Amino acid sequence: MDKYQYQAVRIMEYVMLVAAIILIIFGKITGDTFFLRLATEALIFGGLALSVDLLLGIVGLLSLGQALYFGFGAYLSALILRDWVPSFWLCILLVAISSAILGWVTSYIALRSKGVYFALISFGLAQVFAKSIYNTRALGASDGMVGVPIVQIPLPFLTLNLGDAITFFVVTFILMSCIYFALKYFLYTPLGRIWGGVRSNESRLPYLGYNTQTPKRIAFILAAIVAGVSGALYPMLRGFVSPELMYFSVSGNAVITVVLGGVGTLIGSLFGSSLLMILKSIIGTLTFHHHIVIGLLFIVVVIFAPKGIVGILCTKLKERATR
Amino acid sequence: MLESLQYIYAPQIINGLSIGVAVILMALGLTIIFGLLDVINMSHGEFYAAGAFLGVSLMGLGISFWWTLIIVPLLLVPFGYLMQELLIKKVFHHKDRHILTLLLTFGVATILEDLYKVIWGANTAKPATPITGASEVLGVMFPNYRLFLMMFGALLIFAVWLLIYKTSIGSIVRAATLDRNMSASLGIPVNRVYALTFAFGVALAALSGVLLAPIYSVFPTMGKDFILMAFAVVIVGGLGSIKGAVIAGLLLTQLQSLSSLFISPVWSDPIVFAVMVLVLMFKPSGLYAGMKNG
Amino acid sequence: MSLPILKAKNLSKNFGGLRAVANVSFDVTPLGVTSIIGPNGAGKTTLFNLLSGLYIPDEGQLLLEDTDITQLSPVQRLACGMARSFQITNLFFDLTVEQNLQLASQKLESWTNLFYATSKSKLALKRAEELIEEFKLEAKKDEPVAFLSHGEQRRLEIAVTMALYPKILLLDEPTQGMSQGDTHNTSELIAELSKTVTILLIEHDVELVMDLSKHVIVMAQGEKIAEGNPHDVRNNPIVQTAYFGETE
Repeated sequence: MDKYQYQAVRIMEYVMLVAAIILIIFGKITGDTFFLRLATEALIFGGLALSVDLLLGIVGLLSLGQALYFGFGAYLSALILRDWVPSFWLCILLVAISSAILGWVTSYIALRSKGVYFALISFGLAQVFAKSIYNTRALGASDGMVGVPIVQIPLPFLTLNLGDAITFFVVTFILMSCIYFALKYFLYTPLGRIWGGVRSNESRLPYLGYNTQTPKRIAFILAAIVAGVSGALYPMLRGFVSPELMYFSVSGNAVITVVLGGVGTLIGSLFGSSLLMILKSIIGTLTFHHHIVIGLLFIVVVIFAPKGIVGILCTKLKERATR
Repeated sequence: MLESLQYIYAPQIINGLSIGVAVILMALGLTIIFGLLDVINMSHGEFYAAGAFLGVSLMGLGISFWWTLIIVPLLLVPFGYLMQELLIKKVFHHKDRHILTLLLTFGVATILEDLYKVIWGANTAKPATPITGASEVLGVMFPNYRLFLMMFGALLIFAVWLLIYKTSIGSIVRAATLDRNMSASLGIPVNRVYALTFAFGVALAALSGVLLAPIYSVFPTMGKDFILMAFAVVIVGGLGSIKGAVIAGLLLTQLQSLSSLFISPVWSDPIVFAVMVLVLMFKPSGLYAGMKNG
Repeated sequence: MSLPILKAKNLSKNFGGLRAVANVSFDVTPLGVTSIIGPNGAGKTTLFNLLSGLYIPDEGQLLLEDTDITQLSPVQRLACGMARSFQITNLFFDLTVEQNLQLASQKLESWTNLFYATSKSKLALKRAEELIEEFKLEAKKDEPVAFLSHGEQRRLEIAVTMALYPKILLLDEPTQGMSQGDTHNTSELIAELSKTVTILLIEHDVELVMDLSKHVIVMAQGEKIAEGNPHDVRNNPIVQTAYFGETE
């Protein structure tokens, strides 16, 4: 990552932080919950986008089925909270472990292929999973599951009530920040560099002593955990889950937000997800057919700005510096 | 034994075959676009849907099924052409071409699906079966339309193969896609060839849509539902192989229709997918590979 | 006469009906430069790929210092001490020179170091610095590889292969596409390296090979047709025929 990219990423990080603070203040003053909940949802899907970016931007694997792990996390979370014990920590822990296992198992199917085939297999995996859930009565079939209770988070010095919009937003923001910085940390380790090696020149890596399946598998499992944990927050926010969470449109939207924000920048995914949520709600008030607008926007970005917003920022910074 | 063959299996096999040819036609378009143009067309299913919707509308206007079969693909040709010229060409020379075209066509698919909702509404339509009645074949009654599908489809597939491998148009297309610069210097209008090839591919999908509309009904999300099957056929057959698409198409549709005898049809998609994954585990590039050699 | 470090015994490889490498045997003694030459289509590259592990031979055996490496993968061969370079520069183009060398040296560290910050991989960092100095790449060490000249890239290509202190280094046409000056410098570099590492070379530049090598192996049409010291090989009528056709 050159210094302009580094700067651009830093700027975006601050933008997100400042935006969050403004939102919190706004919420406290006006007592509004709508925008806070919207922002929380944006961050939750931002987590899904992070998992897509990890695979696509860092390792070079386009996954069109990350919604599988997202939906899995959501369903598991709903089951735990509603039918077992409404404990936040237990839920997150179990979802993380289960997602890791699921990611590990599916990696043996998905990682057999590369490039386009990998994309299509990941697509197929998610479709099959979604259809299977759709067909399962016990999981509510096409209606999904409702009635997920509002959760409290017990901490040593206080108890957070996730029913409060501001609290939930802050919790989500902190959680996503942790995930973001954890992923960012990995990027700067030798493992991160090997991932980069897989992305830029996979065939050479064995001659440096590293077989490529292991680093790919690690990334794949990490991505599953990130998507799963993000998904686990969904029923906590909305109170229900449905098979739609695993449909291709969810995976596809995640990819769109990653490209919008900037592939490989990680922060771009969070920003892109927030931006898309804002756009959807603005456009949604103007017309029912926001998909058309989003689709057009996406095409424009892919053709004219494939490096996304962070990329544009980076270019502008470079121009300013070399003037 | 012979009776169960006649009354239970044969109908399913014929059903599978009649659907199979339509699926193959659609997969052919997809595999041609990938094999010749190196583009992953995620919007292919939406062109299939477009064919179905346009077919319903035209027939609703009173135009006969036969004319519709001819008109609909032709209607889609300019769209395909423009899509290639205006959109796909722009990202073609990027080193991440595969991903970018995939994303680009995905964007188009998103737009198209919503567009269909706008134009035709969200309800399901089902055009009347163009050829009614049934005929007896080998002692079993089969719906005429299905028999027609089988024969017409097989003919079309053969025609496509002939076109690509046995005609001079076909060799021009193959030359242009194999070596762009060389072909251009020989006077071949490479851009036009690419655009027409893409248009041809999506026209095949649209034709498929018209053919299958009386069987599967028509609704805005039909493109998404069908695309997994199309991709499964193309992947199992080998991206870019016509022979592969035919064989894989027959295999998977037979699998689908025969398996519905034993398990609930809602599980047919997972089965098809499982087969796809299994094939890929042992033959990562599909059964046959490459269009350059047929 | 020292014991051979690499022993190839009756190596054969077929592709379809084509015998790319047929019954090739030879020994490589430690240190110095041993070269494989031959006209186009002689099977040099296939032989090279058999030696380095990209292909597994249909017949024959390959021994590295008494270890049978015939069936081993490139990763495993590297662990035994064999490294190879590539004819078409095969580096990580979006990383800098220094980062490429750090990545190449990473295997010196234990696998747990993969998960800690790069700065903790002291061995790898140190090795990268050594290599930068040894291969005279200081000036460009922070440049992405894509910005290097062809000659510098080929030099880096060799540097990367030296990262893990290999016992034997397989160089695939190291001066491919180089100018005269670069070729001369590379030749000196290889000569210097061969004092501490055994070098096995494929080259088209026959002059270079004759200057550098202590031992030359000549291939034609998949078979070994001659071997010996440069002088003998050069004057060998069989070799001359293979390269230049019948001479009267």
